[in-house]
Amino acid sequence: MAAVGFRNWARALSRGKQPGFSALFSQIRAASGPSKGMLPGPYPQTPEERAAAAKEYNMRVEDYEPIPDNGEGYGDYPQLPDRSQHERDPWYSWDHPDLRRNWGEPIHWDFDMFIRNRVDTSSSPVAWHTMCKHLFGFVGFMLLMFYLGEKFPSYQPVAPKQYPYSNLHLERGEDPEKQPEEVKHFNI
Amino acid sequence: MGAHLARRYITETETEPDPAKPFGFDPEFGFGERKEREMVASQAQMNLAQVPVLQRDYCAHHLIKLMKCKRDNWPNFLACKHERHDWDYYEHQDYVMRMKEYERERRLQMRKKRVEEAQAA
Repeated sequence: MAAVGFRNWARALSRGKQPGFSALFSQIRAASGPSKGMLPGPYPQTPEERAAAAKEYNMRVEDYEPIPDNGEGYGDYPQLPDRSQHERDPWYSWDHPDLRRNWGEPIHWDFDMFIRNRVDTSSSPVAWHTMCKHLFGFVGFMLLMFYLGEKFPSYQPVAPKQYPYSNLHLERGEDPEKQPEEVKHFNI
Repeated sequence: MGAHLARRYITETETEPDPAKPFGFDPEFGFGERKEREMVASQAQMNLAQVPVLQRDYCAHHLIKLMKCKRDNWPNFLACKHERHDWDYYEHQDYVMRMKEYERERRLQMRKKRVEEAQAA
């Protein structure tokens, strides 16, 4: 495989169509990625290409629908429903119970996102608009009540507490030079 | 309990006093002779006893006695009942005076309103 890559690289260099540096990147791929046969092919144009792609992905021709070609490079990869593994039957005996998947089943493009530890697309226990109403209703009500509490405070019917020494002028840390105004408190 | 709030916000909004604002009437008005409140503990004494600022009121001398009693009798936390009662009693009297001041202010406000209405009539 490395020899094939080297041959192609030498051929590209000798042809001189592309600058030598980028020729390297177009022909050689790390061994950690998928092999050439495992990558998606180009977007299928004809019905025969569709049938071939469906067979490749182990799907029925009726079910196979490629991801729409918008230039992002999905190729002929199938468009599967965006449903996470949480929504699959927990009681069915899957080949891989943790992944809730059978052997040979086509894998969603974002399968690693839809595993049971991650994104969950199952429906909420209560309808979404009901949850919104309850939450914002409660928060709005609390905000209104706090506002009213600021406008109309509740207090005991007592005069403010009286402190000696000109309202504790020195103890509060005010200027010792400045003469505080005379405050007189009386018994009642 | 709470009648003053109903008066303040609903029925008598002009005359019910607002404790956040200073009371405007002359303190001697309506009294023959009024005794001034006496502060027993001096500022130096309160400083030495490290009394918290908000507790340096006209009952501070009882509080200082209580603190001394507690400090002397620790760990017997049941020892200072008499001093604690004294401090509590004088704090209570202080609170009753505050209630009376509020009521005095309220009655003066109502009297002022009555006088104004009589003059306008």
